[in-house]
Formats: sequence, C-alpha cells, structure tokens
Amino acid sequence: MSHVEKRAITLTVNGKNHELLVEPRKLLADALREDCRLTGTHVGCEHGVCGACTVLVDGKPVRSCLTYAIQMEGHEVSTIESVAIEGILSPLQQALHEAHGLQCGFCTPGIVMTFEAFLKINPAPSEEEIRDVLSGNLCRCTGYQNIVKAIQQAAAQIRRNADHVAA
Amino acid sequence: MSQPEFRHIGQHLPRKEDYRLLTGQGRFVDDIDIPGALHACFVRSPHAHARIVSLNAEAARAMPGVVAIVTGHDLAQWTTRQRMAPPIAGLQPMEMDTLPIDKVRFQGDPVACVLATDRYLAEDAAEQVLVNYDVLPAVSTMWQALEPEAPRVDDSLSSNLLSHQHADHGDVAARKREAYRVIESTFSQHRQTHLPIETRGCIAVWDDGRQHLTFHVGTQVPHPYRTTLASRLRLSESQVSVISPDVGGGFGQKIALYREELTVAALARQLKRPVRWREDRLENLLASSQAREDFCRTRAAVSADGRLLGLELDIVEDFGAYSFYPGNYLARVVAMILTGPYKVQDYSYDVKVVLSNKVGNGPMRAPMAITSWVMDGTMDAIARELQLDPVAVRRLNMLQLQDFPYTMATGEVLADITPRETLEGALAAIDYENFRQRQQQARAQGVYLGLGICTVVESTTYGSRFYKAAGIAGSGHEAAWLRIEPSGAVNASVGLGATGQGYETSLAHAVAEGLGILPQQVHLHIGHTDIAPYGMGSRGARGGTAGGGTLYLCAQEAQVKVLAIAAGLLGLGDGAALRLQDGCVEKMSDGIWTATGVGLADVARTAYLDPLALPAGMAPGLEFHKTYEPPPMTYSNSTHVCEVEVQVATGAIRFVRYVVAEDCGTVLSPVVVEGQQHGAIAMGLSGSLFEQVRYDAAGQNLSGTLADYLVATACELPHFELIPMHTPNRATPAGIKGMAEGGVMGAIGALTNAVNDALAPFDVVADRQPLTPMYLRDLLREKTVFINKA
Repeated sequence: MSHVEKRAITLTVNGKNHELLVEPRKLLADALREDCRLTGTHVGCEHGVCGACTVLVDGKPVRSCLTYAIQMEGHEVSTIESVAIEGILSPLQQALHEAHGLQCGFCTPGIVMTFEAFLKINPAPSEEEIRDVLSGNLCRCTGYQNIVKAIQQAAAQIRRNADHVAA
Repeated sequence: MSQPEFRHIGQHLPRKEDYRLLTGQGRFVDDIDIPGALHACFVRSPHAHARIVSLNAEAARAMPGVVAIVTGHDLAQWTTRQRMAPPIAGLQPMEMDTLPIDKVRFQGDPVACVLATDRYLAEDAAEQVLVNYDVLPAVSTMWQALEPEAPRVDDSLSSNLLSHQHADHGDVAARKREAYRVIESTFSQHRQTHLPIETRGCIAVWDDGRQHLTFHVGTQVPHPYRTTLASRLRLSESQVSVISPDVGGGFGQKIALYREELTVAALARQLKRPVRWREDRLENLLASSQAREDFCRTRAAVSADGRLLGLELDIVEDFGAYSFYPGNYLARVVAMILTGPYKVQDYSYDVKVVLSNKVGNGPMRAPMAITSWVMDGTMDAIARELQLDPVAVRRLNMLQLQDFPYTMATGEVLADITPRETLEGALAAIDYENFRQRQQQARAQGVYLGLGICTVVESTTYGSRFYKAAGIAGSGHEAAWLRIEPSGAVNASVGLGATGQGYETSLAHAVAEGLGILPQQVHLHIGHTDIAPYGMGSRGARGGTAGGGTLYLCAQEAQVKVLAIAAGLLGLGDGAALRLQDGCVEKMSDGIWTATGVGLADVARTAYLDPLALPAGMAPGLEFHKTYEPPPMTYSNSTHVCEVEVQVATGAIRFVRYVVAEDCGTVLSPVVVEGQQHGAIAMGLSGSLFEQVRYDAAGQNLSGTLADYLVATACELPHFELIPMHTPNRATPAGIKGMAEGGVMGAIGALTNAVNDALAPFDVVADRQPLTPMYLRDLLREKTVFINKA
C-alpha cells in the first residue's frame, strides 16, 4: 500500500474529542495508542483473532485492529481507560483482581471491554455462555478458569447492585 | 515432612500488579513514548534456504519517511558475531552473523532493516527492498537432516548433526537379555511456539554525550541479556542499561538476545537517534523462537509382572537453523531426568540434535515437556503389551517415600518428593475403580471413554552444579538486595524478570516472612539492570527457590541487624530475646511475646539519622545484599489424571474431568501458584490438541497467522480440579521447590494416555501429537469396521 494524504478527523474517545490528522489506512488501535496516547488498548495479532485490542464502539465490542480510525467519525469509542471511575474499579475489574483472573495482563483490557458490554445485555450468564463469549479473546497465561470465575462473580455483584438500586 | 509454620508465606493476598493492568495503565514496551524515535521494519527472506545474490534498496530509500536501510554487511561493522561454542563433548561450535550476509536459513530470516519516521512508512519501504536469491534445497524434517547427502544448513559445520551425546548407566544390554520382553514405544512431539500475546519489541536510546545505551525490552533475564548486548556492541556493561517493563508473557521466548534487537540497538548508536521495533504477529509466528519438535523412542526391558529392569532412550530434536542456545540445552535435560518417579538403575540414552531450515529453537515453558509423556506412555505400553492394569504397573515401579533420597541412574538426586502420594491422591479423587466400570458400560453402548495418568517429576531451579554436570554453560545462583529506608519503608530487588508471574506479590511474602513485616509493606523493584542486582533471571522454574529463597535469606539477615539496633534502643545486650512481628519489635518474657513499643521506623531512623546511637561498632544504614547458590536441582511432583470421551466417528475429543494432585513445596502465594498450574496445564493441552508450526517440504511456514496456528480458547479447555499435597524441600530456604512447568509435562502425557485408553478396543496407539480429529480418524479408519462387526 502506498502513502496516502492524511485527513483531519474527530475521534470521540471516552467522551472526549480528539482532532487528529491520520492516513485513511491508520488503524483505530494505532490512532488510540499513538495519537490519543491511550496505550491501555493492546495490539496482539493485528488480524482480528486474539481480541486484545477490543474496544467499544457505541457500546458494542469491536476489534480496533480491524477498524480504521477514519471510520469512527460520528461514533463513540470507549477504551479500558474509561472503565474505572475516579480510580474505583468496576465490579468486573474488581472480580478479576479478587479471582486472579489476570497474569501478564496484556490480554486483560480486551477481556474487560468484551464483558463490560456483555454483562450489560446478559447479567446472568451460564458458564457455557461466558466461555462462548470469552472464546473471542486469547489468553496465554491463565487457562481461562479464573477469568470465567471472575465474570461469574462480577455478574453476581452487578445483579446485587441492580437489586440494591431497585430497592 | 509437615509444612513449617509461616505467618505470611502461603497466605492469600490478591496481586499488587493488578490495578495498573486492569485500568489500562500497565507499561509494556510499546506503551513507552520516546519522542522522535525511528521505527524499524525487517525485510525477511521468502525462502527457507537461499544464497543472497544481491540487494537493491534504491527505490525503498527514496520513499517518504525512510531514514536508513541497512544489511548484514553494515551490521558486521558495528557488532560482533555470536559464537555458541561451550566446551561440550559432541557439540559442534556454531557462529551467527547479526544479520545474514551470504545466505538465509529459514523463511522469515531477516536480511535488511528499514528505518523510517513511522511504522507504516517503514513497512511500505520494506516491501520495496529488492533481494535476489539463489534458492537452495531446504532441510524440512529431522530425518532429512540426518541423511548423508542432505543440504548443509550451516556450511561451516561438518554435518547437520549439531549435537550428539550418548551415556550408558548400568548394563542395559544385560537387562535386555534377561528380560521377559523388550517393549518399544515411540513419541513424536510437533513443533510449537510460545505465542506470548505481547509480541517481541524493543526501544534503543543512545546518549552520545554519556556514550550510554538505554534499552527497553521485555526480557526474562535482564542482566544476562545486558551482558550479551553490551558484548555484541563492543560496549562495557557500564554503558548499557536494560529496562524490562511490564511484559505480556514470555514462556521462554524472551530470553535470548535476538538479531532484530541487536540491530535496533546498533542503529540507534550509529544514527544517534532513538529506534523502536515491535514485531507483528506474522513475524512472531515466522521468526520468533520455536520449540519442542522432538522424537523419542524407548525400549523397556521388563519382567513378566511388569517390572522395569532396564531402559533405553533415543531422542532426535529438530533444532532449527541457528543456535541461540547450545544444541544440547533442551534435549539433554529430558535424557537426564527421564526416569523421574520410577525406579531403574540400568539406563542408557542417545541424544541427537539436528539443524534444519526452520526458526531456531528456544526453551519453551517446560523445555523438557515430553519427558513425562515418554515415561508414563512407556508404562502404559508395558501394561498394554503384558495385559496388566496401568495403575498396577505404575505402583510396581514407582519410587516410594523410603526410597528417597534416590540417586537416579544419571546421577541426579531426587529428594523430598512424593510421587506415590500424588498418584494415589489423584486416583482417589477421580475414583479409578469406578471409572473402569463406567468405561466398560459406556463401551457397550458405543461410547469410548479413556483415562490417562501422568506422574510428573518436574526439575526446577537448576543450580550451577546441574549446569556443570549437564555440560551447559551458565550459573544457577541468584542475588537480592533489601533496603529499609529512613522512614521504615522496605524496598527490595532480585535479578528475576517478570512476565506475568506476580512476583511483586509472591516475593513480597518471602521478604515479609524473613524480615517480620507485612507483605503489603514490601515494594519489589525488578526488571532494571541499574536497580536490580545481577541475577540469572526467570527460566526453569527458578523464581520461587532462587528468587524467593535469596530474598528470604536476605530479609532474615536484615532482621538480625534490626533486632540488634532495637536491643540497643531498649537497653538490652543483644537481640536474642527479640523478634520483629508485623513491623513491631517484640520481646520474649516469661514465655510470652510482648510489644516493646519500638517499631521498624524507630530502628530505621536511628540507623540513618542518629548513627551515633547505634550499638558500638555497628555500621550505619540498613542496606543488605545477598547471593545464594541453590541445590543442583530441586524437584516438584504431581500426578495428572484426565478423563476424555473420544468420538470414534469424528475423532473429536471431549474432556470429562481433569484432576491434578501436586506437591510443589512451600507455596509463597497460593493464588499465584494456582494460576501457574492452570496456565501450564492449558499450554500443555492446547499444544497437544491444536498448536502446530507446520513447514512444507520446501521449508515454507504454513502457520503464519492465528487462523493457522490454533490456540485453545475458553471453549476447548476443561475445568481443572487441583489437589494441593505440598511438602517442603528440606534443603532450600523456607522449603520452596519451584513450579510452573510441570503442568505442561503432565497435560501432554495425561491427555495422550487418556486418548489411547479410550481407543484401546481398536488396537491403535496415538504416538504423535497434535491429536487432531484427522489424525485420530486416520488411526481408526481401518479399525472401525472390525469393531462394528464385533
């Protein structure tokens, strides 16, 4: 591929607008990491298999290595940096911490983003459903067992929080 | 052997590393912002074996953003060649250029490096570098490598046989003559790769004024890495700082100094500009180290009741094209520890390591992975051939408590291990007798269940004396420092390289225990050669015993001085009746520990800020340094039992249960140990089922993407049931043994043995991996008809 003129785009990430000058071929993952300096989104394969680079676009999980930054105008991108609020871990992050659901931590942001979205639509998943959704994220350290456990614990906490609000 | 009493070691605490990693604030190499850094991209050979005739970079040089393009000729002026020539009988010395000059030896071999202002532009330009090759025939299998007329991978060697060692212990020939039967078995393990989710990468920053290189790289061995990097750049070790930040997995892939990394360092120095490189996944699969491809054959001389009288082992390993490690480094350990949990004194081995036109091998989590499959697979073969129960054969031959310490035929000494106990523990958990009944009933209904057993004796720690005995250059000692700052804050360091093991948590337990403070009060600083003491890094399951052990001893020495100062403050003659507990000095009086009101901060303040108040003759400050040489080897043990169902019509394998009983000594942090067990088992199962680096006959790598190199996801792996049966090692600090590789060893064996147990009615034996449906169907195709008739 040859060099193409850069374009000015507005990338909305974690509620903040970034005015960027990027080539049309610039991947969303690279724009987030290099231009927005949000390095929590990790790049593990650059061909859409490992899931480490998963971010949310309008609330839905997307591989940022298979998405061009220029496609994101008019969309809301959320990254791992937006999940903890003022340093307080989300129930999912907290559960991953308590259940030892991460080791090297490189794949973790992609898993957090995938399940932040999934637990919103399914707050009471079965183990089979969790494993099915998790199969889009490769982890080389944990054997997945403690990640599954953490997601179950997070789901339970999210349901308790919802009951508390309802009550 | 009961567990010693500890206050902090073995307590559950969530990891200290997690917060930054969970919030996207980890700091991996590629996260580090270096303004003005140039981006490197490597031009790689499309051929497995070819002469480099010419290279034309004119068009590429003219492209936007391109700053430099260099080849092996350029690098040869700026760096030294690597020479791998430890004095080992049977090992041919081997040399390697920084980048190939005359000839490429595998598909993906780097022939030029492009530097540009942006990674995209560097990749664009790399595509336009034109290289003319004269293609040579490739060596694509270990058997072809051994043929007399085979193409020569390294022209300077007399043959492709890089390393050959043979040893005879006892008299195997006599045992074979006396035996009721000699049972031969073979085991083929396929080529795999480590596949850390973070690929390799580095950043080199040359400070021309100070003549100093700062090198950011994810490495398991910061100091040995620095030694090699400095030497290859003709710099002193004072001129190079290696900084290893958060590392996204290593598994053995991040030990050697790679040629790409050396190139990046040399270019930063030549251009006086920072240079960075991050490989993509394609490069990781084509050109980062690979592992495992080995063939084993055993010949077991046995009595009629299944007793092992003598054993022969032949190994051939396909080592790839280059020696990043001595050729005997991996396979010889398999030979030395093969017999593991079983009693046999007449043993001989023959280890051949050959070169081929593939990526050079490196140690991958459990470099000796095949060992336990070979040994327990041999036990299964004995049972099968003699129509005995496989558990009975194991019980007959297995070492028991009264046999230890046991000197294996190779001279390696096993002590403080419990293989018989973990065997029985795992069998009880899975209810072996009940399984055999269920298996019979299921077979009657056309459902094929299998149960595989694999007992692992995992070599851990690797002390200097083992390296010496195995003819491998290297040291197994470790170093630590501990500083109690004037405020009483505790900083400590050790020469390991973390790649996800949770050292900041588990090693804090060792420090807290040795010193007498809370683990939360300990701050570990590792992965920086200017900060950490010179240690041997992380490999061979040495972090616990060598790393944790050295820190524990260092912290104990610190406590002695702290108590001596406290004694002075309390007006006591010495610290003999004192202890430090959770940071508070306590005194024994009338058989009861009571608070003295003096804390670590009081002692620290005195040591730094009021040294004249110290006991006479005592040096100011609270700084401690310790080096420690561990035993030649420590061993952990475990028994893996795996139950599967094999669908005969499709060759699919379904896990029913997976149980592991493990004794890995004193556990520093149970949460970390459990995580290591899970991860190791997963790597073993994934490798046995799916992962395979495939090369065709021309040496083309057919597994360059994650759609081709398949890794187990959450859907394919079972739930692991772990049974802790830990007993301490009496020769190590705190009784630590080390662990984290045995899970791979056990998984490979238990799964394959289970599949073979399921397929027993068909009279077939799977003797190679991966256990793909296609392979199992190939085995079954002719046999299924027979069964259907029966």
